[in-house]
Amino acid sequence: MSRIMKVARMQLINKWTFIGIPLIVLAGSFLFTLAVWYLVRRGGGEGTLYGGGAQAPMWYFLALGIQALTLTFPFAMAMSVSRRSFYLGTLALFGGCAMVLAVFYYLMGLLEEATGGWGVDGRFFALQWIAENNWLTQILFYFMLTVLLFMVGFYAATLYMRWRTTGVLVFTIGLGLALLGTVALITLTESWPEVGRWLAGWTAAGVTALGAGLAVLLAGSSYLTLRKATI
Amino acid sequence: MSETPAITTRDLAKTYKDVRALDGVSLNLAPNRIYGLLGRNGAGKTTLMSILTGQNFADRGTAEIFGHTPFEHDPTLARLCFIRESQKYPDDFKVRQAFSAAAIFFENWNEQLAQDLVKAFNLPLNRRIKKLSRGQLSAVGVIIGMASRAEITFFDEPYLGLDAVARQIFYDRLVEDFAQHPRTIVLSSHLIDEVANLLEHVIVIDQGRIIIDSEAEDLQGAAVTVTGSAQKVEEFIAGYPVIHRDALGSLASISIRARLTAEQRARAQILGLELSPVSLQQLVVRSTLSSQSDREQTTERQAIK
Repeated sequence: MSRIMKVARMQLINKWTFIGIPLIVLAGSFLFTLAVWYLVRRGGGEGTLYGGGAQAPMWYFLALGIQALTLTFPFAMAMSVSRRSFYLGTLALFGGCAMVLAVFYYLMGLLEEATGGWGVDGRFFALQWIAENNWLTQILFYFMLTVLLFMVGFYAATLYMRWRTTGVLVFTIGLGLALLGTVALITLTESWPEVGRWLAGWTAAGVTALGAGLAVLLAGSSYLTLRKATI
Repeated sequence: MSETPAITTRDLAKTYKDVRALDGVSLNLAPNRIYGLLGRNGAGKTTLMSILTGQNFADRGTAEIFGHTPFEHDPTLARLCFIRESQKYPDDFKVRQAFSAAAIFFENWNEQLAQDLVKAFNLPLNRRIKKLSRGQLSAVGVIIGMASRAEITFFDEPYLGLDAVARQIFYDRLVEDFAQHPRTIVLSSHLIDEVANLLEHVIVIDQGRIIIDSEAEDLQGAAVTVTGSAQKVEEFIAGYPVIHRDALGSLASISIRARLTAEQRARAQILGLELSPVSLQQLVVRSTLSSQSDREQTTERQAIK
């Protein structure tokens, strides 16, 4: 068995981390949402009900991205694993988990539509903007979102491992300045309405492609940073 | 012997900001022996080991493991095991899970040995690692290091927090297992007398420099302390390198680097001088101190110029 596969196996030794906790987070946020919807209907609320709880497990993936590095990386080094094997094994495992989650969302979305929004006309998995696309776009969208959040956490953690607090500070301040600059530019040129129209014009496929590009960029940067990281 | 050395370094140097962690370290370690890497805290022991295991980078020089640079080279890394003194474990790992992970990665992992050691150290297998005491944490590292049976195993101050009994268990088991499964062991330590009997070869590092690199046998009896009337002691030791001086009134006790012949010993007796061997720990401490004062004097001289 290659060392890359061994890294994936090591990450899975504690099954709770990758499988148990995300499922609990998802089940928890879903059941809470259902309960709230039920109460809303009892209280006489009308129209379609939307819930954003489906993204909860994805944010957990962001935290996992950080944890996979700060704690598992030093341990992997002690297990005499090269940085490359650690990186590839960890990413392969996360990719696999993200794909399972994406397919699960798609299937739950179908179920949601088939049951008339769980009997209360609620939208938890099949948010209209995404659900109106074909199955492949839907799955890829969920997949991209999960991987992207994981990569954000992972990249921030590689910065920390390589340059410690200084690295993270420089990066976040730089990012903050860039965002502020963009907002300032849009405000000063009075182009918010155009930006709004531009944003509204994005399709799910377009967002998926953009997010995927960003995730690939973060993945590449993470590897280059990690190659020279010490513990 | 034309055997490939287990570890070779050439002129290794590493600086952290203003601290010189390693300074021109050149070493050759033969396979299947037990090496002691001795030195004070901050002498450069951990830095050296982490460069040898590809976890850190030298600013200058080369390090090779069985003729290969270890950095990012999986086949070479697979032959090594290095558990740090401050080793981190995944946050939610239990002791048992750390051993499961080690069993995945180390091809020669011996589960039976691991189990025996768990019993010997009284280690709670189902406790989370972050809840262990310092001694138990050290025991986890010791067990992974021993049971991995890696071709080169580094122990980085493995006894921190272990009580005297546990330390003795570690030393005994190490020697026992080494006899059956010879491999290269590098034991970093500042408890020198405790490990002195285990070591076949001693390397002493101080402020990043190698100040002793000798067979343990050669070091035994390589220095002697001469005690007696100051005048006679001075007479007796004339010409030998002094590693330490103590004086009390007209009495002097001076340690010198020397192997005395039978004749010299007889002469000492006639002069009424007492000879006592210098332990490895004393030798290392004295050598370290004298190498430091040499360096300070050099710096002072340079400052005067």
